[in-house]
Amino acid sequence: MYQALLTRRYLTSKVMPLLAALAVMLCTAMVLIVWSVMGGFLVMLMESGRTLIGDVSISSPGTGFAYYDDLIKRLEADPAVDAATPMIEGYGLLQLPASSGPETVVIKGVDGPSFERVTSYASTLWWRPLDKPLPKDAKRQDPRLSPDRREEFARFFAEGSTLTARSRAGDPVGAMVLGVEVGGYNARQVEGWYSPVVFLPGDTATLSVLPLDRRGRVIPDQATKVLPIANHFRSGLYDIDANTVLVRLDVLQKLLKMEATAAIDPSTRAASVTSRDPATGRESFNQPAATRLAPARITHVLVRAKSGIDADTLRDRCKAVYREFQRAHAADFDPPPPEGGGVRILTWRDRNMTLIAAVEKEIYLVLFIFGIISLTAVFLVLAIFWAMVSEKTKDIGILRAIGAGRLGVAWLWLRYGLAIGVVGSALGGATALLIIANINPIHEWLGRNLHVTVWDPRVYYFNEIPSRFEPLKAAIVLAGGVLASVAGALVPAVKAARMDPIRALRFE
Amino acid sequence: MPLITITGLKKTYRLGRVDVPVLRGVDLSIAPGEWVAVLGASGSGKSTLLHLMGGLDRPDRQRGSGGAGGEIVFEGRSLADRSPRDLDRFRAKSVGFVFQFYHLLPELTVLENVGIAGMVLHRRRGRFRAERVGDRARALLAAFGLEHRLAHRPAELSGGERQRVAIARALVNEPMALLADEPTGNLDRATGQRILDAVSAWRAKGGQTIVMVTHDPEVAARADRVVRLEDGRVVGG
Ligand SMILES: Nc1ncnc2c1ncn2[C@@H]1O[C@H](COP(=O)(O)OP(=O)(O)OP(=O)(O)O)[C@@H](O)[C@H]1O
Ligand SMILES: [Mg+2]
Repeated sequence: MYQALLTRRYLTSKVMPLLAALAVMLCTAMVLIVWSVMGGFLVMLMESGRTLIGDVSISSPGTGFAYYDDLIKRLEADPAVDAATPMIEGYGLLQLPASSGPETVVIKGVDGPSFERVTSYASTLWWRPLDKPLPKDAKRQDPRLSPDRREEFARFFAEGSTLTARSRAGDPVGAMVLGVEVGGYNARQVEGWYSPVVFLPGDTATLSVLPLDRRGRVIPDQATKVLPIANHFRSGLYDIDANTVLVRLDVLQKLLKMEATAAIDPSTRAASVTSRDPATGRESFNQPAATRLAPARITHVLVRAKSGIDADTLRDRCKAVYREFQRAHAADFDPPPPEGGGVRILTWRDRNMTLIAAVEKEIYLVLFIFGIISLTAVFLVLAIFWAMVSEKTKDIGILRAIGAGRLGVAWLWLRYGLAIGVVGSALGGATALLIIANINPIHEWLGRNLHVTVWDPRVYYFNEIPSRFEPLKAAIVLAGGVLASVAGALVPAVKAARMDPIRALRFE
Repeated sequence: MPLITITGLKKTYRLGRVDVPVLRGVDLSIAPGEWVAVLGASGSGKSTLLHLMGGLDRPDRQRGSGGAGGEIVFEGRSLADRSPRDLDRFRAKSVGFVFQFYHLLPELTVLENVGIAGMVLHRRRGRFRAERVGDRARALLAAFGLEHRLAHRPAELSGGERQRVAIARALVNEPMALLADEPTGNLDRATGQRILDAVSAWRAKGGQTIVMVTHDPEVAARADRVVRLEDGRVVGG
């Protein structure tokens, strides 16, 4: 095919087509990088928003609800549910050693083993013995790699998993696990490891909380406790890592006065507060005739879906299970609130909806803008091809004279556009891949040498610029690049096809 | 039966509002295997006639009356009856053009410039055909003394060499007629003669028809018949 031969020769012996290919390359690379980084941002945001909250949460913030053991049993009997775990969420103040004032923190009371089953929590524990350094830590500076401290770190890991540490006397006591950024005690290095400013695990901190009663009123009681720090966790979401403290569930329950307590059975309460003994005439307080156990409460049940079950299906299952549970306990001492009236059942996506929706919208907006910018590439190809068709007018005349048809000539230019699109897109894809794969080193280099820090983890939630090279996205963008150059070549191709061969031959 | 019969051929160019008649009714008949030289002053319409004969341009068409611009019949079939596709094929297969100014494709090598005519004719990529085209191109270039120039670009060749490449391209599809527009016009006498020798040698083998435009009486003398283009008509012969 003569078109193939000419395309090859034109491509390799002219500067113009290379400029066109360059334009296509820049546009495809730009769109692909932006899409990958923003897509990566969204995925990472969603993944991180998902760590430590399970797939679906059943929550009654503040007052909480009782009989949760039964709810969890019912949930775990459902085929859509993999595991469920109780949790208490509240706010508190944390006084850390060597710090001037307390930190306001989100406190989560969790039960280590079942929390692990629902959220894979143990994988977020930071201090643990490490054999292989982090990918960028070529100099093996991570203290977790130290062979001398293996045993110590293994102990911190075990204590972190169960949120149980040894007291000075040697008894197991409930412990805390802090977000790795809480208080700024760990300095994150560019290679990704943390250098502790003050090593907290093994030390203690003072936690103060505000207990609420069953109706959500503040109990004006001191609720402060010194707790050992077992470990740090790192979810990757800066907001969570800087503000969250995990405490063993039973410890927090006690602190918040949500544990099971003896309560007066109101039906057996005497008519008056005191009574006089008819024999002695002495007045005494009436003791309640019967007490019963007020059940322990929690604020959240986190649920993990069986693999293959999506969060929305799981949420619907959870609602059904909760309704039954609520009905079963309606006549009990501490009836659980109905769904919608005090209890909310949400997927992780619902809980992060505002954030996710904002990022999703932003992605489409940015893609739209860059798509429009990429139209420039179409016009650039068009202009360059227009110029080349004009320059090659005589060639077109010659080809027509030796028998090439109009369609053949049009196809020659379209093919040429296709070739430029393919070359440009391939180069653009490769460039994008290269940049995406090295986006953090490039960013660090910029920060070191030019003092430009675009990505501040305090602003963007993550410590690293996320990015995700997705083959499907790449295929769409590259196909778009090819299409754009074919579109740009279309008008010049028609011009070439319509050219009068005699005029073309006379062209100087 | 003649190979080419031209009757009452008219071609008028429009320059702004002015009609410039170039051919005013050309009648010419060329037998198969004949070598006809067309002489004429500059601007008399020789190139125009050749382009019309090769189907590269169309004669005048007057509103309402078909055939007002005359007719060119090639092998018993009027060019006017052919579809654009047929005409493309006709140019590729039945005639071979040689232009006054070589008209080679600057990006292609000598061999590719000759071979591309074969590629245009055989649109499919058929390997057998492609090889045959390549072999024939090589053989023709060798016959014209260019076998050591195959990989050169036209810009690296002399005028005479370029014209030989152009002739090889015109001949590679073994056309029935060679339409040559002053093939020796830009060359010195000796080079021109050598090229004409090569063309004669090729015609001696296949018995092809040649229509050759020239101003040069010496070139015209090699032809079987000489015709003159004067005032838009053929005289003499
Ligand atoms: N496309 C065109 N538009 C207008 N006039 C044209 C066009 N092509 C040719 N002519 C005119 O037609 C006349 C004949 O041109 P043509 O090229 O056929 O002459 P020629 O005999 O080949 O001359 P030469 O010997 O100089 O090559 C010239 O006067 C030329 O100006
Ligand atoms: Mg001429």
